[in-house]
Amino acid sequence: MKSKVVPTIKLYDYLLVPIQIELDDNTVERLQMQILHEIHENDVRGIIIDVSMVDVIDSYISFVLSETAGMAKAMGCHTVLCGIQPQVALTLAQMGIRLKDIITARSLEDAIDILDELD
Amino acid sequence: MIEVNPQDYDIVLKIKDESDIAVSRQMAKNFAQKMNFSLADVTKIATAVSELARNIYRYAKEGYIYIRKKEAGPEKATTIEILACDRGPGIENVELAVSGGYTTSERSLGLGLAGIRRLMDSFHIESEVGKGTAVIVEKRRRAF
Repeated sequence: MKSKVVPTIKLYDYLLVPIQIELDDNTVERLQMQILHEIHENDVRGIIIDVSMVDVIDSYISFVLSETAGMAKAMGCHTVLCGIQPQVALTLAQMGIRLKDIITARSLEDAIDILDELD
Repeated sequence: MIEVNPQDYDIVLKIKDESDIAVSRQMAKNFAQKMNFSLADVTKIATAVSELARNIYRYAKEGYIYIRKKEAGPEKATTIEILACDRGPGIENVELAVSGGYTTSERSLGLGLAGIRRLMDSFHIESEVGKGTAVIVEKRRRAF
């Protein structure tokens, strides 16, 4: 597999994906492939995507994130999105975007607690 | 179609690559910040520009986004105006495209145009099949 788009951290059975780069369309698509490969290779039960550094999430980025969560689900893996900035939440809600197949959490700790309680 | 004089605008962005979507989003964000919009409105403006740029790239392959600061209405409210135009295929059913949940593209929520309309204060679209599409949106700066 080519170089990682986002450096990830394996934590317990979870894969932590902190997004600290500008998400253009190509990057978010490559990130999707990276996450799926890492689930497969590392025996991951849950993915935590930290978007606290992301200041714009538009309809396509939302679509790819939801799609990724759907694919992860097919591989037996839950996806938690944490740290959405208030103005990003406001924008998503006003646009009518719903993050399908994604569990949301307030913080990283909260995300881990949620995953611990699942299955 | 709308006649545009690029010299009337503060920013002119040519959209022809996928990476231009992220560039236009950043430029719009910086410009709105410089205009002293609130953080929430800066995010809405940047998101709207991102959607407009993607529509150009996805459906018309190339086009332009023009951004300017202006004083609008009798109270001369500071306003950002964004014009996105292309000479692409045009939209057959504009009403349907703007209503939300409708898309002709496979990997899409179909919420772009409907979302932009909700995020901005004014929304105007002109489209002619075979000729192209122009979208003009505005957002007034709120006192805060």
